[in-house]
Amino acid sequence: MAKPRGTDGSLLASLPWTLAALGVALAPHVPFLPLWITTAFLVCAAWRYAIEKYRRSLPSMWLRALLALTCFLGVFATYATISGVGPGSALLAIMASLKLLETRKRRDQFVLLFISIFLVMSALLREQYLWSLPYMVIAILLIMAAWLQTSVVTSTPVRRSFATGGRLMLYAAPLAVAMWVFFPRISNPFWAVPMDTGTATSGISDSMSPGDISSLSLSDAVAFRVRFEGAVPEPRDRYWRGLVLTIFNGRTWSMNDPFEGPRVHEQIAGNSEPVRYEITLEPTRQQWVFALDMPRSWTLSRTFMGPQQQLARSHPIDQRIKYEAESYLEYTTNVELPGYARDWYRRIPAASNTRTQALARNMRAAAGSDPAYIDAVLRKFHEEDYFYTLEPPPLGSNSVDRFLFDTQRGFCEHYASAFAVMMRAAGIPARVVLGYQGGEMNPIAGHMIVRQSDAHAWNEVWLDGRGWYRVDPTSAVAPERIDSGISGALLDGTAAAWGLSAPSALLHRLTLSLDALNAKWNEWVLGYGPETQDTVMRWLGMEDPNWQKMFLTLLASVIGITIAISFLLMLRYRPPNRDRAAILYERFVNKTGITPAIGETPAAFAARASTDSNLAAEDIETITSTYLDARYGAANPAALPALESAVTALSRRASRHSNHS
Amino acid sequence: MQGGNTLETLPLDKNSDRVVLDRVRNALGSIILGKDRQIRLAVSCLLARGHLLIEDLPGLGKTMLAQALARVLGMSFRRIQFTSDLLPADIVGVSVFRQNLGEFEFQPGPIFSQLILADEVNRATPKAQSALLEAMEEYQVSVDGNTRRLPEPFFVVATQNPADQIGTFPLPESQLDRFLMRLELGYPDAENERELITGADRRSMLEDIEAVTSPEALQELQRAAAQTAMSEPLVDYIQALVRQTRESPEIDIGLSPRAALALAAAAKAHAFVERHSGVYPDDIQAVFAAVAGHRLKPAGNTSHRSAAELCQHVLDTVAIP
Repeated sequence: MAKPRGTDGSLLASLPWTLAALGVALAPHVPFLPLWITTAFLVCAAWRYAIEKYRRSLPSMWLRALLALTCFLGVFATYATISGVGPGSALLAIMASLKLLETRKRRDQFVLLFISIFLVMSALLREQYLWSLPYMVIAILLIMAAWLQTSVVTSTPVRRSFATGGRLMLYAAPLAVAMWVFFPRISNPFWAVPMDTGTATSGISDSMSPGDISSLSLSDAVAFRVRFEGAVPEPRDRYWRGLVLTIFNGRTWSMNDPFEGPRVHEQIAGNSEPVRYEITLEPTRQQWVFALDMPRSWTLSRTFMGPQQQLARSHPIDQRIKYEAESYLEYTTNVELPGYARDWYRRIPAASNTRTQALARNMRAAAGSDPAYIDAVLRKFHEEDYFYTLEPPPLGSNSVDRFLFDTQRGFCEHYASAFAVMMRAAGIPARVVLGYQGGEMNPIAGHMIVRQSDAHAWNEVWLDGRGWYRVDPTSAVAPERIDSGISGALLDGTAAAWGLSAPSALLHRLTLSLDALNAKWNEWVLGYGPETQDTVMRWLGMEDPNWQKMFLTLLASVIGITIAISFLLMLRYRPPNRDRAAILYERFVNKTGITPAIGETPAAFAARASTDSNLAAEDIETITSTYLDARYGAANPAALPALESAVTALSRRASRHSNHS
Repeated sequence: MQGGNTLETLPLDKNSDRVVLDRVRNALGSIILGKDRQIRLAVSCLLARGHLLIEDLPGLGKTMLAQALARVLGMSFRRIQFTSDLLPADIVGVSVFRQNLGEFEFQPGPIFSQLILADEVNRATPKAQSALLEAMEEYQVSVDGNTRRLPEPFFVVATQNPADQIGTFPLPESQLDRFLMRLELGYPDAENERELITGADRRSMLEDIEAVTSPEALQELQRAAAQTAMSEPLVDYIQALVRQTRESPEIDIGLSPRAALALAAAAKAHAFVERHSGVYPDDIQAVFAAVAGHRLKPAGNTSHRSAAELCQHVLDTVAIP
């Protein structure tokens, strides 16, 4: 049986509310959803509204089924799967849009409002920013107001609906906070949100071609935040070591697996007091763990130092993590490099960048020693017309040749790449290190922010007797990049020469404040995990917190809060003054056994009851007149007790009567 | 049954008010036989400071009721027969030039009385009608640019003949709204009609009637009637009734907020006349047809032909809170 599909315009008033609720719930998904789903939602919304407005019919069941199937396949085609946060919320969004096309009644609108709440919640599975909470509160408030607007029969002022919705949320807030604080956190719960491993984040990748890092330098995104235990290292010492690239194909530097390759574990000897600090790393979805060059110890689990002194975790970092580490700012690696490893670090494709190779051999011969040769190359970068710029000209396949001899303009990866090739061509083992250099102190929060724009590439060369030795060719070209960092260079305008525009001081300060707030939010709200919860529980006075205790506390506080709120509501409740009279009268009406007609006055009912019921006429008269006086008359304190006793007497007499018979 | 036992609880001066009201009703009842309900409503209308429209066929005692009211209440009474050639000046008066004084002197028209009987009000032209209606609404008239207050209390009883439609100007809705109540007298029942035939001449009886109260006392009564308590549930009830008239498919044009006010005032006055300790649901129902009947516009397809039926239908569909 097909349901009637016509519309009568009765939803015209409430439909915009439903659409607004869906819209506000979908909005945070839009940047992640494929464009066609957002378009489909807009089309469905407009279509449904037009149907209601012009009183047309809803699409037929066949059309709807066809659309649903098409959209399902569309989601499947887009994501190649239907499980996970991305496809799941895409499916929810498109089905909510299609549900509009079969929304005929208020009941369907409630279903849509319910879906809206789900959509709002599912946005949290994707990302939880500082603004997520206020946005969610506003979205839920709007949905509640829509709900109230949809459920009322007579028109209610919009402001009143929002006020009621807000009040309901206020009642619920203590419960939500209690649940959040006390619900036992488990370090790896089975209900943990599955992360989308496919989505790319901007950050350092595991290979380096010309242009890779300069594209990062525009990103303000935070890579990690650092809190130092003692003095903060000088900017020129802030080399955040990431991964080490050893393989060069003529254009691109890439790495071998950190646990393979030349199995040489260099021993590291610190030449200064270690620096202690704590890093909060944003998720990278990669294995690399960043630490100040050169890390000595770290507290992150399942993290090992590979043969090239790079820290790697056995599985990708898909959540924000926090770890403490110690590093030596000055160190030596004092191990002999075996011949096969020495060869490994000297390999370059013989057929590529031939001009560079020839130049390297000539300069090495002229320099006489390896250190002198290194100085000569750095001097060449410093004294000849080489420029540090964010927008270098494109290079061909023999990128180093073209850079060194033709364009002479490049960002750190150009210099690092060219330097490593020059070294290797001259027979000196060399490699490229990727990481971050610099970092800006946030004076408000007291931590250092390292952004994606601080991404940097530098070199390490092997010198006999010294081991691996850090050389940063960029410092030869643009010393201020190293001495004050990207952010410092941005602020004092130096970076303008590199193609970066300076931010306004006010905006910068605002950014820092926001960063401080964000860090707190990350630490206490998003990072409210087992450890933080343990701390909070102890602070609240719980000894040896465990999940049973927390659960009992949660139960007790939920019950307590519910009782407290009920009590509050009870205090606020003002019963209608004369309700008691109505209740008593109701009891009398039930005794008569006659049902009053709609609109029948008590007096008219009394006249009917005197003849039709077996109650005494004088009782009926007394009760009716005292009821009228008590309920409708001017304040007469005697009327209600009189009614009370009259009705009680009647009930007693009636029960006695039924006992006798 | 109604309120006999509450009388004792009332203050003494109010008690004397009630005695006066009883005497008014008795005196009216002795002249207009068998029309208790209409008399009660007419007195309520008067106490609520509203004007009264009596709509019925000739010879049913419309004029008699108006005259009896005036006599019993001791008010000055004037009758204006509305005809198609009636001019506004015939109602409100004219300024006449006095030769000997050398200035204009205002000659007040019949409107300057406390009780006006506007007979067959729908026979006059809209111009003349509006002169009366301005006075009803504003309690003042404007003549030659001067505004003159009317005497207090001021009460208009207008009559119209619903059967006679030729050469009439029916009052538009906006002007019908000025009348607090519209009543239909109807034929007397057999017994009362027989007594009417055999009994004394009504006109001479009217001559013999003595005023039981004064206009000043009447104003006191009006003030007291307005003080009658109305409980919250009944405010809701009035609101529900008014809303029902707006939402009912049987009715094209429902009641205005002004009509709701009128309903409340009339119900209060009715409760006062009935000696209720406050407004009871019965008071609202009693005045509802009289107050709402002429303000409603039935829908074309309604099965309720007369206004009274329509009003009863509304009462039967709204629950009393």
